[in-house]
Amino acid sequence: MLYHNLKYSLKVLLKNKGLIFWTFAFPIILAIFFKLAFSDIENKEKLDIINIAVINNEEYNSDEIFKNTFAELSNKDSENYMLNITYTDLSKSKKMLDNNEITGYLLFSNNEVNIIVKNNGINETILRYIVDEIQSNKEIINNLIENEIRENNNFSIDYKTITENVKKQVLDNNIKLNNISNKNLSYTMIEFYTVIAMACLYGAMLSMYIVNMKLPNMSNVGKRISISPSNKNKIILGSLFASYILELIGISILLIFTSLILKVDYGNNLPLVFLTAIVGSLAGLSLGLFLATVIKTNENAKIGILISVTMLECFLSGMMGITMKYIIDKNIPIINKINPANMITDALYSLYYYDSLKRYSLNILSLLIFSIILIVISYITLRRQKYDSI
Amino acid sequence: MNNIIEVKNLTKQYKTLTAVDNLSFNVKEGEILGLLGPNGSGKTTTINCILSLLNYQKGTIKIFGKEMKPDSYDIKSKIGVIFQDVAVFEELTVYDNIDYFCGLYIKDKKKRKEYINDAINLVGLNEFKKFYPKQLSGGLLRRLNIACGIAHKPKLIFLDEPTVAVDPQSRNNILDNIKTLRNQGTTIVYTTHYMEEVEILCDEIIILDKGKILAKGTLDELKEYASIEEKITVEINDLKEEIIEEIKEFKNVDKISYERNILLITYKKGKNNLGELIDYLKSKKVKYNKIFSERPTLNDVFLELTGKELRD
Repeated sequence: MLYHNLKYSLKVLLKNKGLIFWTFAFPIILAIFFKLAFSDIENKEKLDIINIAVINNEEYNSDEIFKNTFAELSNKDSENYMLNITYTDLSKSKKMLDNNEITGYLLFSNNEVNIIVKNNGINETILRYIVDEIQSNKEIINNLIENEIRENNNFSIDYKTITENVKKQVLDNNIKLNNISNKNLSYTMIEFYTVIAMACLYGAMLSMYIVNMKLPNMSNVGKRISISPSNKNKIILGSLFASYILELIGISILLIFTSLILKVDYGNNLPLVFLTAIVGSLAGLSLGLFLATVIKTNENAKIGILISVTMLECFLSGMMGITMKYIIDKNIPIINKINPANMITDALYSLYYYDSLKRYSLNILSLLIFSIILIVISYITLRRQKYDSI
Repeated sequence: MNNIIEVKNLTKQYKTLTAVDNLSFNVKEGEILGLLGPNGSGKTTTINCILSLLNYQKGTIKIFGKEMKPDSYDIKSKIGVIFQDVAVFEELTVYDNIDYFCGLYIKDKKKRKEYINDAINLVGLNEFKKFYPKQLSGGLLRRLNIACGIAHKPKLIFLDEPTVAVDPQSRNNILDNIKTLRNQGTTIVYTTHYMEEVEILCDEIIILDKGKILAKGTLDELKEYASIEEKITVEINDLKEEIIEEIKEFKNVDKISYERNILLITYKKGKNNLGELIDYLKSKKVKYNKIFSERPTLNDVFLELTGKELRD
């Protein structure tokens, strides 16, 4: 029975041109569009050096990590050169900002780095991104310093030596601080990651369509199936397998296409990229199942809901610009914590930028929890065998 | 004969609307039961309750002597249903559609293939095996709908308005199929609002309105409900008023009307009314184009019981 349903569900799904377009072709078209639209911008941005000012106060001067990193990023001879830094006081910085001489200035105060900008453009986003990246690595660097002190058993060790060791670690790629350098920074990468997230979630259309067809309160075919002597759970399971197989084929084609043709860099850990796609597709599958079983409205309305929800989720996770992801992460982090598109995007992002799999694992775990919750709710709804009206 | 279906005191309510009101009836093995009633009379709801698709507030339903539940797979394996709305996959061919639905009942592939071909032959879709539903006309689509419901050779079939919006050729084909199935010993529950179909097909008839049974019995038994026994229609040009008045005085005449050259006379009872009328018209040298007599129809019964036409 499982095979019978799997076989015919595959046939039904493959014959539906609309579904195939949205789940297979549309993400590829969107990725091509992003490539065409952003590659030029990115090339231009690579040439830009961002002018900033740093308030040269005591707190800044005592922050070796920022100081060293900024020294590297503003070194014209370095391949990491991307910042033109003016060290000055607050009033001059304000004046420079008013005169549009700088993108923004940084004020180190009360153990915080305050970024003061005038506009919300690409340079401002990159500046935020750089500061964020250094901040997030500061903890790891501090641990390295502590280790260095412990290993050398010398509490009065020369700070310069520690910094050099830290820098050495950094340059050894143990910490990918150099990823925020001009050479590697690709803020458009996040757009491609959101396309992968969107493709995973659009897979929901497959599961929603095929499960909808099998429910008596949703379709006439469902009524006919419901009065057959076949177990409803097996029928639904066969349908879900079929949609999952197609989802995985679609996402694999997208990954291969973006990687080989569009040259999107997914980093060195391809198996984990595929694992993200597999778990992301499961989230899409469960979203479709949830919409099919729990939401009581016609199929077109469900597709409308699905597309709207997915696009909103992708938008919030940075599809239309990384600034949005940054804003949400900073101001309403809970939104992105429960946003499956962000979980997928962030998993790919963390896989690329961090050696540690902590953040990646957290995203994968969140996706699994998201999927399980939706599947359990759908199963409870599916257990009902009679309806008040059909 | 055994009762294949036993329905007792079935009541189904949608909020404040009582769709099925305390319905009780039995269906005997091998017979065709017709559920006749206008749209919204509760026919489809009754079937959906019997099939355990719908919750109901009151009553018991037994099929093949056992209580019908959603997980009564042994009962379900002997049932076939042809719903009012066509229930097929648009993405599958005629053959694949029948194979899919038949496969929900018959696991053996060889046997299934044989059954599918039988069903295709029965409904006359041999030339359309590889066609997709959207390539079929309305009538052929209805035939596919039937094939999907009967391919597994069920002992009990529910047909819910299977001839709605089909061409006369397909309609005749569908009615012939139903007769064939009946001749093979299948028990059938047939819902329709076309009284002619019920008159042609059904052994037992239930007339429903507003969820209630108005009358049930054989065709002849139901016609007893009608107060008239005969209707005579005569096409006459320029009939004089005095002749109409004289015919009114005939024994057994109930009503008489003359509009647009059509004289319509209804009789309460009596025999040889037609002969008497022909003799009278001849004696008065009244020339007529057409004259014919009719027995009361189920529509007359419905009119008698509800005061409205079946198709109102």
